[in-house]
Amino acid sequence: MLHGKRAGRVAALPVALLLLAGFAVPILLVVAYSLMPPRTFGLDGDPTFANYLAAFREGYWRPLAWSAGGALVTTLVCLLLAWPTAKVLSRRAGPLATTATILIALPIFISESVRLFGLSLFLMPGGGILAGTLDALFGVEIGTILNTRLAALLGYVYIHFPFVLFPLILGLSLVPREQVEAARDLGASGWQVFREIELPLAAPGVTIGALLCFVLSLGANAEMSILGGQAVTVVTRAIEQRFSYAQDWPLGAALTVLVIVVTAAVVLPLLKRIDLDGLIRQ
Amino acid sequence: MADASGGAPPILSIIGLSKRFGDTTAIDDVSLEIPEGEFFTVVGPSGSGKSTLLRILAGLETPDTGRVELRGRDLVGVPANARPTCMVFQSLALFRHMTVGQNVEFSQKMRGVPPAARREQALEKLRLVRLPESYYDRRVTQCSGGEQQRVALARALASDPEILFFDEPLSAIDFRLRKILEVEMKELHRRTGKTFLYITHSLEEAMVMSDRIAIMRDGRLVQVGTPAAIYHRPASRFVAQFMGEVNIFTVDGGRIEELAADGKGLGDGYLVVRPENLRPTGDADVSFDARVENDFMLGSRTQFHLKVGETVVIAELPGTAAQGIAPGSTGRWGFDLGDAVALED
Amino acid sequence: MSTAWLLTVLALLYVPMLSVVLASFANTRYMRFPHEVWTLDAYRNALADYTTGVLHSTSFAIAATVVVLAVLIGTAGALAFARYDWRGRSLFQRCLLLPIFFPQPVLGLALLLALTAAGITPTWKTAAFAHLVWIVPIVTLVISIRLYDYDVRQEEAAYDLGASRWQVFREVTLRAIAPGIVSGGLFAFLLSWSNLPLSMFTTGADTTLPEWLFSRTATNYSPLVPAVAVIATLISAFVVAAAALAWLALRRR
Repeated sequence: MLHGKRAGRVAALPVALLLLAGFAVPILLVVAYSLMPPRTFGLDGDPTFANYLAAFREGYWRPLAWSAGGALVTTLVCLLLAWPTAKVLSRRAGPLATTATILIALPIFISESVRLFGLSLFLMPGGGILAGTLDALFGVEIGTILNTRLAALLGYVYIHFPFVLFPLILGLSLVPREQVEAARDLGASGWQVFREIELPLAAPGVTIGALLCFVLSLGANAEMSILGGQAVTVVTRAIEQRFSYAQDWPLGAALTVLVIVVTAAVVLPLLKRIDLDGLIRQ
Repeated sequence: MADASGGAPPILSIIGLSKRFGDTTAIDDVSLEIPEGEFFTVVGPSGSGKSTLLRILAGLETPDTGRVELRGRDLVGVPANARPTCMVFQSLALFRHMTVGQNVEFSQKMRGVPPAARREQALEKLRLVRLPESYYDRRVTQCSGGEQQRVALARALASDPEILFFDEPLSAIDFRLRKILEVEMKELHRRTGKTFLYITHSLEEAMVMSDRIAIMRDGRLVQVGTPAAIYHRPASRFVAQFMGEVNIFTVDGGRIEELAADGKGLGDGYLVVRPENLRPTGDADVSFDARVENDFMLGSRTQFHLKVGETVVIAELPGTAAQGIAPGSTGRWGFDLGDAVALED
Repeated sequence: MSTAWLLTVLALLYVPMLSVVLASFANTRYMRFPHEVWTLDAYRNALADYTTGVLHSTSFAIAATVVVLAVLIGTAGALAFARYDWRGRSLFQRCLLLPIFFPQPVLGLALLLALTAAGITPTWKTAAFAHLVWIVPIVTLVISIRLYDYDVRQEEAAYDLGASRWQVFREVTLRAIAPGIVSGGLFAFLLSWSNLPLSMFTTGADTTLPEWLFSRTATNYSPLVPAVAVIATLISAFVVAAAALAWLALRRR
């Protein structure tokens, strides 16, 4: 076995090669294609910004804006729901809290297709699980929100909730109980404790949770197909259409670059500030 | 419980307070009155319920039964942030994401005091605890242990509490610094004139600082009194043991069991004898044959471990009197009953 | 109050899964809940069906490949992440996070473009590669967590006691991170088995279970779909149980 500095470099090599071939190179290729003349399939054309111009002129900013806005709303809703949940789970010990934590984590490992499919079965009109049960038990007939943006948003929140919750629990573990008690003792109200103590101390967790949620929802497309009935074209869907049906790689690549730019603009500055070693040690 | 202590009216009255956690009784029918301006200390081993008592007084726990009155106003049900009391925590609980100034100003900020006025008051409190004003902008994480202690005191004082509570704030500090801070704490008490309620597991610490002391055991107050009263007249073996090394003998029908000596008119119970009250003499109320096992030099005094039958008895003599007594020597040792404390429990 | 909130959250999270289970007991082409006939027909069909067998083996081939490679690469990566002190470590740590903080479908699309440009026809093998790009960083983090409360001096002690460098690695280091490797492998399997967004663009003509479920929810619905979904999820649960047993066995040793 090797030691010290060389060992680190050798051990990092496989991961580095994987990320180079599977992450850096594809992204660079996408960037290169985005600069090729429209509807070409090679990389030998003269570089041009025509695709970016086309992306805006032909209204492709709309899917991008919708995806970004949807991701933002999803993040906010998830934060609002996950904060009280994380507080309950982190302040309480015992079998109920442990069981609940495991039960909330499990769905992460169940396919999105299964979970979104389940949600659509639940919301289905007429013979759906909810509508059918209400009709059979109470004779109440209800409509459905299926195939609307609201249903898609519900799916977004449902899928991404655990990704916000667990970083928040981690964040709250950085808030010593005594600091909260000291603040209360010094006259802080519940809201003041949240603003002055809990939020600043849990900030690394909140940041990671919000980032994960935003980035994952930014690219999400299954929610809109299964629940939203394509009520809106999300950006990933738009890219896919450019790549496959329209056979316009450069325009698809330009749209992909735009999504990557949004992602990078959000992720890089915040990721730079977080103390990873300290956080994992928790 | 006898609580008469001078003429000052009580600022804090605790009446029949009890608290259980599951099967354990943390506080068991505690009643106590603390007069305005007193430095009162509750001493007890860990698990005696002293921290719970303090947390109830601060409003961080709710008692099962009983009342807590501040100048006659019932505090039970008043949340911690609405009580005119303030606590200095064992961990100090300084806000690590804030500067010294922000910590000290915290309570004023919560009340909506404008920044300029807050700052002025914070600087005044820093002076009061003898921290330079330049510390105002320093991060608390850059302060030494003793400085953090002072910041915590300044923060508590800045909330202008009617009573300050202290939850063993000196327990994690090394011996020398602790001695300095004990004196500072007592001085601060005198300068501010506030009522201090302090808890600790160290009777020694309590003796240095307090006007009165309560000894707590298994959720009950077993003795309340001035340091001198507790030192000279411990109410039970438990209290006596708390004072460090003492000899405790069993008395059965006027006979001191361990020494096989006559107790001259003592009833059944126990006899507490301090090491410094033992002398190498046969001319005392109680005397016995002993063999010197070991001697330990304690600076101005020397401690001897005496073997009496199977029992080890501890004696301490001043330097001059200790000369010539060597391990292995045998002789007669004794004490006067006037120096000993007879206890029933 | 807090208990009620917790139970509500759990109920909301599990209602969709319960819905899938309920729907799988139907025998009608169109969902009319409550069913007139409750039957296990759909499960019989699913088990007899050739297509679902192929789906399972494709998904399994990808997941198994991913587990083996992710554990190997991730263990080395974790040592570089948390055990060794080297110059590029901080940069390495941050780069490792980038694929996790990246929209998966966009990664899938970028990989699709790169594969097509390189003239590689996407199959289940390329999907396994795509999964690795996302899963290796996660496995690396999971194993790294074990290394943070690991006392490096144990290795020095073993070395001092006469162990060779390889023996030190095998007997001390590897043993210390073994639980992390088990959970890392478990994460790798579950995440690969259930992945939709990467598979969607990188499997080519092959189809994984989540992909099939995704396409069949939109068109061509039948009770077979929820039944396959339940079976796929049960397989995950079975793997978790097996891993839990392996974990216990490892701890006892």
